[in-house]
Formats: sequence, C-alpha cells, structure tokens
Amino acid sequence: MKHEDEKGADVDAGRSVGVHADADTDRNVGAPADADTGGGPVAEIRGLRVVVDGRAIVDGVSLRARPGRVTALIGASGSGKTTTGLALLGEYPAGAHVTGDVRVADGGRVGYVPQHPAAALNPARRVSALLTDIARAQVRRLPVRQRRAAARDRVLRALAEAQLPDGEDLLRRYPHQLSGGQQQRVVLAQALLLGARVVVADEPTTGQDALTKSRIVERFRAVAARGIAVVLLSHDLDVVRALADEVVVLRAGRVVESGPARRVRTSPRHAWTRELLHGRTESTGPEEPATGPPVPRGREPLDDRTESPPPGAPAGDAGQPVLRVRGLTARHRDGARGATVVLRVPELDLYPGRSLAVVGRSGSGKTTLARCVAGLHRDHDGEVLLDGTPLPRSLRDRSPTQLAAVQYVFQDAHAAFDEHRPVVRQVARTAVRLRGTDEDTATREALTTLAGLGLPEELAHRHPGRLSGGELQRAALARALLARPRVLVCDEITSGLDTLTRRGILDVLTALVRDRDQLSLVLITHDLDTAALAHRIAVLDAGELVEQGPAEVVLTTPAHPFTASLVRTTTRLTAGTVT
Amino acid sequence: MRSPRTGRFALGLTIVAVPLVLALLGPVFAGEPGARAASFTLGDGHWLGTDFVGRDVWRQVLHGGRPVVLTALAATALAYLVALPVGLLSALTRHRLLEELLMRPLDVLLAVPSLLLILLAATVFSPGAVGLALLVALANVPDAARLVRAAAAEAAARPAVEALRMQGETWWRTAFGYVGRSMLRTLAADAGTRLTGVLYLVATAAFLGVGVAPDAADWAVMVDRNRTGLFVQPWAVVVPAVLIVALTTGTNLLFDAALDQGGRRGPRRTEKGTRP
Repeated sequence: MKHEDEKGADVDAGRSVGVHADADTDRNVGAPADADTGGGPVAEIRGLRVVVDGRAIVDGVSLRARPGRVTALIGASGSGKTTTGLALLGEYPAGAHVTGDVRVADGGRVGYVPQHPAAALNPARRVSALLTDIARAQVRRLPVRQRRAAARDRVLRALAEAQLPDGEDLLRRYPHQLSGGQQQRVVLAQALLLGARVVVADEPTTGQDALTKSRIVERFRAVAARGIAVVLLSHDLDVVRALADEVVVLRAGRVVESGPARRVRTSPRHAWTRELLHGRTESTGPEEPATGPPVPRGREPLDDRTESPPPGAPAGDAGQPVLRVRGLTARHRDGARGATVVLRVPELDLYPGRSLAVVGRSGSGKTTLARCVAGLHRDHDGEVLLDGTPLPRSLRDRSPTQLAAVQYVFQDAHAAFDEHRPVVRQVARTAVRLRGTDEDTATREALTTLAGLGLPEELAHRHPGRLSGGELQRAALARALLARPRVLVCDEITSGLDTLTRRGILDVLTALVRDRDQLSLVLITHDLDTAALAHRIAVLDAGELVEQGPAEVVLTTPAHPFTASLVRTTTRLTAGTVT
Repeated sequence: MRSPRTGRFALGLTIVAVPLVLALLGPVFAGEPGARAASFTLGDGHWLGTDFVGRDVWRQVLHGGRPVVLTALAATALAYLVALPVGLLSALTRHRLLEELLMRPLDVLLAVPSLLLILLAATVFSPGAVGLALLVALANVPDAARLVRAAAAEAAARPAVEALRMQGETWWRTAFGYVGRSMLRTLAADAGTRLTGVLYLVATAAFLGVGVAPDAADWAVMVDRNRTGLFVQPWAVVVPAVLIVALTTGTNLLFDAALDQGGRRGPRRTEKGTRP
C-alpha cells in the first residue's frame, strides 16, 4: 500500500522538482550577492582538529554553512565526515582532544538526521509524543488552555514542512510502524520544530534505491529552500551532485579541496578529487546531462563472452540451468495475525557461468528471494531446483554438497563474522566443514584465496573488528568461495560502501565470473549500475516479478512501467539535474 | 587510565580473598578443640572470645566458612550447568514445541518463592549440605535459563550464525563457540549477582537450620545462635557477618572489574577505520 502510494507520488515529485530546479538556478545566479549581503554563515568551523589516541581523525578542517545553501562533505569512509558533522552539534568521540573553532550563530540550534533514523526515535513512544515533547516547551508562555492546541498546531506544521502530509494518521503510530523514509522525515520534523537553523544530514541516502534517493534529494532541497543551512555528509556522489552548492572534499581528516559544487565537479584541482569522481564522470559527464544514454554507465559487462552469444537467447545460455526457481511464494509470519505473502516468483532460471541481477526497491522482496534460494528463509512454497533436484527448504536439512553448491554473501559483513576469531580461521572453516579438507590445507587455501581477492596475509590474521567494510566483504566472498560454490548469491554486498571500495568489490566480482567458468552469480541490488554488470536482470516490484531479460534490453528498453521509472530516475540522478 | 581499573581489581581481589582463604584453608589451621569456657566471655586466651556454648569463636570462624562458600559456589555452578544447555537449545532450535517443552516447566518453578521451596523440601527430606546445594541450584535454574535464552536469542539472530550454518558448522561450535562466547559478558554480570543471591539463600537456609546442625560451625549459624549475646560479646556475630558481606561485595567488585576489562578488550568496530 505504502508502495503504490509512493509510486503515485513520483509523478508529483517530478513536477515539483522542476520548480525547485528553477529556484536552484536563481540561487546560483544570485549566490555571490547573497553571500555578501545576506549576513554571514549560520555555522562555521575553523581549523578543527580532533585527536583520538594520538591519531588525528580530523585535521584542520574549515567549513561554512550559509542559510539556504547545501554544503556537502564528501570523502571515502573514515575520512572524518561524521566527526566534522557532529562537531557542529558539539559532539566529539570519547576521549577526543579537540582544538579549533566551532561557532553556531546566535545560539542557533542544529538539527541532526542520522544515517539510521530509527536509532534516534524512542521506540516505545508514539510519533505524536515525540514531537509534542518539543513543541510543549515552546508554548510555555501561552495561557494554559491554549497550549495544547498551539502545540498540536506546531507539530502538524512541522510535519507538513518535513513533507509528511498525512500527519494526523502518522501521529498515532510508533516509530517501528513507519518506513525508513518516514522515520527520516519525522527526525527532520523534530529538527524543524526545534527551529534548527542548520541541519546536519549523515549519509541520508546510503542503501536506498534510486527512486527513494531522488525523493530524499527533494526533501533536503525543500529544507534548504526555507533558508536553513544543510550540511550533507555523504559518499554518494550522485546525491551530492544533485544537491550541493558547496563541496568540501575530505581525505584522511584533511580538506583536499573545497569550493562551489560546479567548479569542483567540472575542474577538480586535486588528484584525489579526480580519483573520487573518476568512473562516475567518465562516461556521463556533467556537461551532457539530459541527453545521457539511458544505460546509466558504460561499464564493462561481467565477462567478454557477452559479445559472442547474445545472452538473452536461450541458445546463448549453454546447457541446462544450474538453478531453477518454480512457483515460489514466500511468506513472512506476522505475529498472531497469520502470514503475509511477500514474494511471488513463478519462474526464474540461472545458467552456469552466467550472472543474474535481481533489482527492486527496498521491501520489494529481493532479499527474501535470495534467502529462499540459500535456504535461510524456510517459509515458502514452490521449488528451488539444483540440477533438477529440489533443494530442502531449510539449510539445516541440506547436505554438505548442497550447502557448498549454493553459497550466500551477506549485506553487513561486520555482522556476518564472529568478532572473536581471526578472519582467516573463519574463512578456512568452510573448506573443513563442506569439503572435508584438513585444517592446514584449508588455512593455506584460505590465505591464497584471500590474497587473490586483495587481502594480504597480514590483514587475514586480524580479527574482523580491525578490518574495514570493504576488506571484510572480500573476506566474506573468500569464505563463500572456499566451498567451490556453483551458485554465489550476493545480497547487496556493495551498498553502504563508498565509491572507491565499491568499485574494488565489483572488480573482484567481475574477475570471479571471468575466471571461474562454472560459477553463476546472483546479484541482489537496488543499484542499476551494479545490475548493469550482469548478463540478465530480473525486476521485482512489491513482491512480484515484473520483468526479466538480458541486461541491455531491460536497461535500454524497459517493458514494465516500474522498470522504466527506475531507469529514468537513475539516469536523472547520475546526470546531476533532477528535472 | 590503567591504574583505576587495576586498583579496582586489586581491591575486589583483596576483599574476596580474606573470606575465601579462611573458608578453604581455615580448617587446616584450626587445630584441636580446646576445653569449653563460659559462654560469651572475652579474653582469657580466646582471641575473639567465646560463643553461646563457650567454644572459641576464632576456631568456629576457621571451620565455619567451608560449608557456606562451597555450597554457594557449587549451587551457582550447578545452576549454570543446567541453565546453559537448556537456554541455548531453546534459543537455537527452530521447533517451537521443543522450546515450549523446555521453558514452560521452568516457568512453573519460577512462580514458587525460592525460600519456600527450600523450607518445603527441608521438612520432607531434611537434606544435608549436598542436598542444600542441589535445592538452591534448582531454585536458580529457571531464571538463569531464561536469561541465557534471552541473551542467546539475540546472538542467534545475527547474520554470523546464519553464516556459520552456511558453512555447515556443527551445533556445538555454533552454540558454545559463537553464541555462548558472545553472551559471555551478560553471563559474567549475571554470575556476579547470582552468586550473591545464592550466598544469601544458603546463609538464610543455614540461619533457619536447613541443611546444618543447630550448633554447627557455620558462619550463618554463628550469626543466628550468637545474636542473643550481641551486646555482651559482639565478635561472635560481627566477624562471621562481616566475612559473608566481604565475600559478596568482593565477588561483585571482581566481576565488575573483569567486565570493565572485557569492555576495553571487546570488539572495537572500525567501520570508520583508517584504511579506505
């Protein structure tokens, strides 16, 4: 229900975007005058240096947030974005030694929209209570009788400003009954209610699909249009491109470059900025936005064999499918009320040595499909056939051979490793348990595989907590590969990683399918760029398989309206002009 | 940064060492019982005076720790020995029925006040020290099992467990190697308070005369029997009482310090690590 709702809203969003884009250009024209006459920045950081345990996380960062402007802090993960952003709120890591100057104009309040908004909302209280608490403090001066009505009035206004039009209904719900996007807007409403002059948004679009992203861009643009300074912390260059007026590029805690967004984008002065933007701007330069090719990025397909056999034709998919899904209906238990069907896939085939991308928005059932195949989601009807033999529904009933044949790589690599044991030992266990090799051989093989995926021995002996997300995701791939799988299911393994790391992981996947003939890949992703690497694409919308076919066909001439809108939005975001 | 933690550890250790050493080694140094003197007297060769039947208090203290401490430690260990497998099994199983079968009977037991349970059993069986340890352990199994299950359920829902199953890992390695390992801190915190509770229960039972003879050399019994002479000869009450208090306080300090250390050694997530 929520879903259709948002789809319908897409048309409206498209229209209102145009209006804002106009405003945007106006602002760009009048920007210098604005900066001179319209008072100074509402918040300013000068020469901030944060040292923890003798290591400078942030070193000499300066930043200005002006009313109505979006200032973006970009950089790879670990570059000090969040530390700088939180400094505006007066928050520092535990035990930090801070020097430098952080000023927020005339006691102005600063709102913060965290990456996971759910964490900022008390789960035990309704939305109305969360917002009224703030509003109540502001109506103290009114006579007692008017307070309640006035507070409610403020709450509803803040909700409307945060683009939550059906506020009345929403107020009665608890945070967990809201979608991620709605939670984010409630946090935003809290900030607006507080009268924040500056809003710090920490990675607001991480892990979101293109449609949701464009809506988030819209939201923050509207916030900026109210004269609030927005500080955007992001590694998502598409969003930065669409939203930012000023860009500050961070690397290892230092500012390598800053300036107007357009200037940084078109003529980056620093090599690091160029590298960060590289690959993004390569094929779809910002200078040729509207007429850009419908396929988001002209990246190399997963292997060169695509050239010879047309991957769409059954003849091209040599031999029998390795994995077939027949009449799959998956349910989620919903407390006492029984079960809801969340996924229907009548038919889906995977051929040896080929890759299949499953694309859809969050909540469309992509992950459920992957989990059904891997045996992690038991509650389903229909069959998953491996070489024509049905696989047991639960992986606890699968034989070691069956387990080895279908391996799964989890989205959150940190959560998928045991934090108490060195990575290499965990990786090696796959070979010991599933292929019956002895401990020493398994360890040697694990080290070789890890090195092949770009993880040197020194890192492999560390505990998972001391590896970065990208490194750990490589280790997770190695752990799955040690089973010598025929089907490798990758569930959003690049979401949440920054651009450079993501490119590294995708290169690894590309090499895998190229080098291992019998390995088939299932890529679960919301990102069409990633999906473009696969031979075939299947599109899921609200649990239904709406379209499937060869990648080029789906991306260039989408048959289903949903696919079309997904492709369109991605192209728009990439082009940098949300029009 | 290092010294306060070590200091707390040393303090806990010192406090807990006094009653522990007395309890474990006391009987060795106690020597032969002397002739009985008058009740509740001070001096006259008796360090801490005499008790209600004229025995040497110091000698009673040396003898009286072992039953309390051993019973409490055994009961706590026994409670976990049962609670751990039951809790882990019910948290990791996918069969609802098995979980219900394991946990519901314990809920019934949980509803009975533990002291009532012990007194009830005492009137029927008149248990000895071993019996008392078993009873106290039984009274502690239900909530320990619930705690283990709750802590394990959280760990069992993590992708890491799914990843272990994906690797075809054995039940034992998954249950004890990962799930058990990750709830160690919760268990350690619980063990600290539980040992205190068990000590209290054992002392209370002894005070009420369950599991021990009325004139036995037992810290808890000493507190009870000698309280009539509290104002004449306080040492016969104060010394054993202080030793029991030292044991519980010291244990909790020690566990707190150990947990603190665990926290510092614990997983430091470096999502925002140095390497890009």
